[in-house]
Amino acid sequence: MQEQSPRRIRIRARRISVFDGQDLKKAILAGAAWLEEHRDSINALNVFPVPDGDTGSNMSATMKSAIRNIATSDETSATVIASKIAHDALLGARGNSGVILSQTLRGLAAGLEKKSTFTSQDLAIALQEASRLAYRAVIKPVEGTILTVVREAAEAATQSAEKGDDLVAQMQEVVAAARRAVARTPELLPLLKQAGVVDAGGQGFCTLLEGILRYIRGEANAPSSPAENIVKVQKEPEARTMKGRVTIEEEFGYEVVFLLRGEKLDVETIRQTIIDMGGVSTVVAGDEKMLKVHTHTLTPGKILDYGVSLGSLLDINIENLQEQSLTYAAESEAEHAAEAVQETAPVTQIATIAVVSGAGFEKVYQGLHVNAIVAGGQTMNPSIEELLSAVDAQPTNQVIILPNNSNVILSAQQVVDLTPKEVYVVPSKTLPQGIAALLSFNFEADFTTNCQHMTEAIKYIQTAEITMAVRSVHIGSVRVREGDFIGVVNGDLVVAGQDITRVLHDTLQRMNIGDYELLTLYYGENVTHEEARQTAKSIKERHSHLEIEIVDGGQPYYAYIISAE
Amino acid sequence: MVVRIVTDSTADIPVVQAEALNITIVPLTVFFGDDAYLDNIELDNAAFYKKLQESKDLPRTSQPSPAAFEEAFTRLINKGADAILSVHLSSKLSGTYQSACTARDALPENLKKIPIEIVDSQSISVGMSYPVMEAARKAQSGAGLEEIKAHLLDQLARTRILAVLDTLEFVKRGGRIGGARALLGNMLSFKPIISLKDGEVIPLEQPRTRNKAYVRLAQLVGEMEPIEYIAIAEASDEVGQQLAQALKATYSGEIPIYKLGGVLGTHTGPGTAAVSVVTAG
Repeated sequence: MQEQSPRRIRIRARRISVFDGQDLKKAILAGAAWLEEHRDSINALNVFPVPDGDTGSNMSATMKSAIRNIATSDETSATVIASKIAHDALLGARGNSGVILSQTLRGLAAGLEKKSTFTSQDLAIALQEASRLAYRAVIKPVEGTILTVVREAAEAATQSAEKGDDLVAQMQEVVAAARRAVARTPELLPLLKQAGVVDAGGQGFCTLLEGILRYIRGEANAPSSPAENIVKVQKEPEARTMKGRVTIEEEFGYEVVFLLRGEKLDVETIRQTIIDMGGVSTVVAGDEKMLKVHTHTLTPGKILDYGVSLGSLLDINIENLQEQSLTYAAESEAEHAAEAVQETAPVTQIATIAVVSGAGFEKVYQGLHVNAIVAGGQTMNPSIEELLSAVDAQPTNQVIILPNNSNVILSAQQVVDLTPKEVYVVPSKTLPQGIAALLSFNFEADFTTNCQHMTEAIKYIQTAEITMAVRSVHIGSVRVREGDFIGVVNGDLVVAGQDITRVLHDTLQRMNIGDYELLTLYYGENVTHEEARQTAKSIKERHSHLEIEIVDGGQPYYAYIISAE
Repeated sequence: MVVRIVTDSTADIPVVQAEALNITIVPLTVFFGDDAYLDNIELDNAAFYKKLQESKDLPRTSQPSPAAFEEAFTRLINKGADAILSVHLSSKLSGTYQSACTARDALPENLKKIPIEIVDSQSISVGMSYPVMEAARKAQSGAGLEEIKAHLLDQLARTRILAVLDTLEFVKRGGRIGGARALLGNMLSFKPIISLKDGEVIPLEQPRTRNKAYVRLAQLVGEMEPIEYIAIAEASDEVGQQLAQALKATYSGEIPIYKLGGVLGTHTGPGTAAVSVVTAG
């Protein structure tokens, strides 16, 4: 503001006592833009050197959602703007940091209720409310995170208002306090200190406040043109309602039957391999020295070649099924002839929704009759809205959610209060845990019992993940260099190294692989089936007691996701 | 009143026990290619599974003809039966029950005055063998038809059979998969736990390994107290012993183990083990 006298121009320090809706809007827009600009550097603060669950991306995405409806609004009432921001933030919240951020905005809106304009005193109350709701959002609040930063920012706001500061001075105090809190986070969380970084979520919130301050001080242009801050129209959530697939097992191709004589024949492996080759109605029965194979296939040669590679074939019989009508001799047995198998989703009053990444994993989940799959999106963390849409789309009133990622559990739990349906979140942290939960589903049991069963089931699955580090970091006793292969067991990074096979084997050692009987190896989108087979072979060589199953997971980022049970 | 008990080979009652209890067993037929075998008479459990392994043909089954039942009923009546109670596997799994009914309706007038009750057990194997054997004991001690039938129905209502299979392929191929088709499409290997409800196969759970499946069976059995009777039916010694061992976790008594016959084997495959529980009335 400039004050003019007839002879001298005095420039006063900017001072604002009152904000209205438009001021709030522009301040938040500026904050969101500043956050987006610093998104990558905030991502780089994440201790865990894997590219999913990036805090910067999650918080920025949350803010983008928060401002989507008010960006071009003419609304002058602060409470209206604040409410809209809070509502849209909640729907668009991704990841734990996004959820907590949305709760702070909700607190802000609650504090500004009924106020079309607000002062520094009002803002102090609003920030206190923001802090309160942020803490309440988390079951076990931890200091040294965004919570600490929000709390100390709120305290600074309160002290500043009591002194009689205007909004500009107050915001300066708030940001200063936020910066100090962020700088202190390594002292509060040893993990951060060891990694040599400050807390990403705390930094993200601080950056948002900085952006707001810059606008208030006139250092940044309020993004006035919608084009600058245009938020892409929210995509239709990727939830799909699985009405059930119909697969008709018809008689086709050739019926191939033979006896196989060999040594150490593995019935399960042989059966699975033949199925993988496209064999239908495959039956393999016998023992390790002699077994009988029966299958229907379009490529009998392939099956025979495979058999020959395992031993010697006897009593080989190949019939062309299309040329021959299969007749069942017995009398009214015809009434009960093998019916065309219709795969329909089981009739149950409970729907299940799973968050899944990877084409192969999607197929596995579909095969387990999950009712809807929500894709993770760029950060592998879907927004609350995407989860909510999937829940609402279900025809049942009872829905179970499998988040399959520790950074999605909080978002999923928010959904419980946003819908009239009965929703339960099974706290699955990995895709194999989600599978274990689905497999434990009991078709006869009621909702409560199934929720218990499924939650219980995830305890008995150990998950290992093999991937490549995107950052150098020191976690626990492991020093990781960017580009190293890393092994993670149940969320803990235990091994790092340059040779993926070595890392894999060391990781399996760390999970006491001797205690388990079945290993399922889900290989990622950049791994070939042959590579996976070789990997399985090398595991079997070292741990002959294990049954190993290879599944095409098609997941991004993780070369292997392994479940042990 | 002389009441005679009739059942079919899918009850998996050993021949020796059937003879001792005066139970008449009408056999189903198991086919391997063109070769036909009377279930549990010409082909027992061991012979069946051996043939399953060696034959290039997969087995098929067929119910007894009405003539077989007519012959059995007539013989029993001529030998002095005042009444007959004929108990059979679920009519949703086989046409055996229907065959028996057809036979009864086709009996000559002079034999029709003998009351013949035909019961659809809605079960199979060890799910029906105990009530049938109990009925036979009651008949031997002179109970009347109505009383025996009432007791049989009451026990059947309190009976539950649970089975663990190695694969669903045999059930699917045999066409009786019922509700368990919900388990098809699962791309991962698993050992399905199935049961019977209203005479049809229903899916229960999908544990990944046999060990886990048996542990689950033990837990499910543990929820069925108090137990009047429990029995195992096995495709092979190996799985029967394994299941018996697992059940010790929740049941401390001796559990009789029966062999699954060829008809059961055809429709469930090798590696099958089942447990049947009759809860106390």
